[in-house]
Amino acid sequence: MLKWFEQVEQENTNIICSKVRLARNWAEYVFPSKLSIDESREMLARLNEGLKDLGELDGRDYESAYLDDLTDLDRRALKERRILNSSILARKAPVSILLTREEDISLVLNGTDHIRIQVLSPGLHVEEALKTANQIDDYVNARFSYAFDEKYGYLTSFPTNMGTGLRATAIVHLPTLSMGKKFPSMLNDMGRFGVCIRGVYGEGRENYGSLYEISNQKTMGRTEEELTALVTKVALQLNDQENQIREMSLKGHRLEREDEVYKSYGVLKYARRLTMKDAMTFLSQLMMGVSDGFIKTQEPCPVFRLMLGIQTANLQKLSERPLDKGELDVARAAYLRSELPELR
Amino acid sequence: MLCERCKIREANIQYTEVINGVRTEHNFCAQCAKEMDFGQYSAIFDGEFPLAQLLSGLLGGEMPTQKKGRLQQVTCPTCGTTYEEFVNNSCFGCTDCYGVFDLLIHDNIKQLQGSDCHKGKRPVYQGNQGGEVLQEHAERETEAGKDNREEQIRAWNRKLKEALRMEEYETAAVCRDKIRELKEGKEADA
Repeated sequence: MLKWFEQVEQENTNIICSKVRLARNWAEYVFPSKLSIDESREMLARLNEGLKDLGELDGRDYESAYLDDLTDLDRRALKERRILNSSILARKAPVSILLTREEDISLVLNGTDHIRIQVLSPGLHVEEALKTANQIDDYVNARFSYAFDEKYGYLTSFPTNMGTGLRATAIVHLPTLSMGKKFPSMLNDMGRFGVCIRGVYGEGRENYGSLYEISNQKTMGRTEEELTALVTKVALQLNDQENQIREMSLKGHRLEREDEVYKSYGVLKYARRLTMKDAMTFLSQLMMGVSDGFIKTQEPCPVFRLMLGIQTANLQKLSERPLDKGELDVARAAYLRSELPELR
Repeated sequence: MLCERCKIREANIQYTEVINGVRTEHNFCAQCAKEMDFGQYSAIFDGEFPLAQLLSGLLGGEMPTQKKGRLQQVTCPTCGTTYEEFVNNSCFGCTDCYGVFDLLIHDNIKQLQGSDCHKGKRPVYQGNQGGEVLQEHAERETEAGKDNREEQIRAWNRKLKEALRMEEYETAAVCRDKIRELKEGKEADA
């Protein structure tokens, strides 16, 4: 069974994936931050009981687990694969998840809110992801009444989520656009349209891999459809601009560009040690080559899957013993050597 | 780079210590850094939510000490969240907190969200549980349809005004027809 991120196709597009998240609370209990451990357990048991047949809704298999029963490594790997986030990981109270095998649909129970429904999808399908999330939302709602207010909409722990409780996200790859001098100020300007854009990997100002996450800033005063349409529009716009600039640079510098992409492939395919930053930078170059269609591999080249694969917790999971920094770099290079498809 | 203390997590904090001119560098992960004692700098590693802290600044805001003193006595009767807690964590403790802190935060919510009124989806099943709700579903659906139509009328009205302001009369005409259409549909329903 392929995971959702293994289905990311890249030809002719810089849009990697879409995500929709709905935050909901069950009216019967106080919010997670105020629940005692015992109350949390009781609520989770009731939620899990009520949702045990969730699979009947869409004919999918859901696996259910308490985070406490997973190893620390598994939890961090789930974070790398975007199922959990750091505020959920930091929770001391019991948290449980329901997850499809493809990992595209997940429910986190007793995270920062009682119920967090998340749908991930390869490519630009924010609207479709919202539809799926809405179906699950109604299914949950039929069993558990939500905390809802006529004026403030769905009530959530954080005022940044109240209203629709919706965060719609698209991840785009902007290697050329982000090199421009005006890029940082352009990102700031995006706030005026009601979206925020931030780098996906890397710390501070550095962004390894040139992946950017576009999401709606506000959750109230606009309908879910308006919010998803907005994110879609901005993603398409950025994708378009990236393509235009790339086309321009290809006209005058095709050889240089091809050279860069093939060199990156060479390093990824044969290096013996790769730091996260280097690996992400070369993968980003390769991603650009795949999307522009001037590097052909025997099998489709799953660059985004590789980007997820070389993250620390995943490499640690593949290894039988804990790795230090140097060993991680070696493991990363080995992983890429074995996973990168041969050139055609 | 791995954190040199736990050797598990990625190090993302570089700590340079200079003691009597001897310089040593350390790399820690945020979690270890939090657990260690860096004296006055410890506070830096405490916050998991920089955004939340920024928010608390906004929510608490500048206000006269006297008023603040009174506000500090406000506590949510359901979950026990105090005003101070609420401002520090920017986090509601339960549904009733929205009512308790409403007056205090109303304006800030508007600033934060650009609106203080929810539009969009409403829960289909409310106040009930189990099978009987499913029958009500259909009824509520049509009600939701009505709401939706009124919302659409409002939206077209806004567009109409905008078009008139921009002197785009063709667009305005389209808007006017749409509104008429929607209103007729509404009367037919009623």
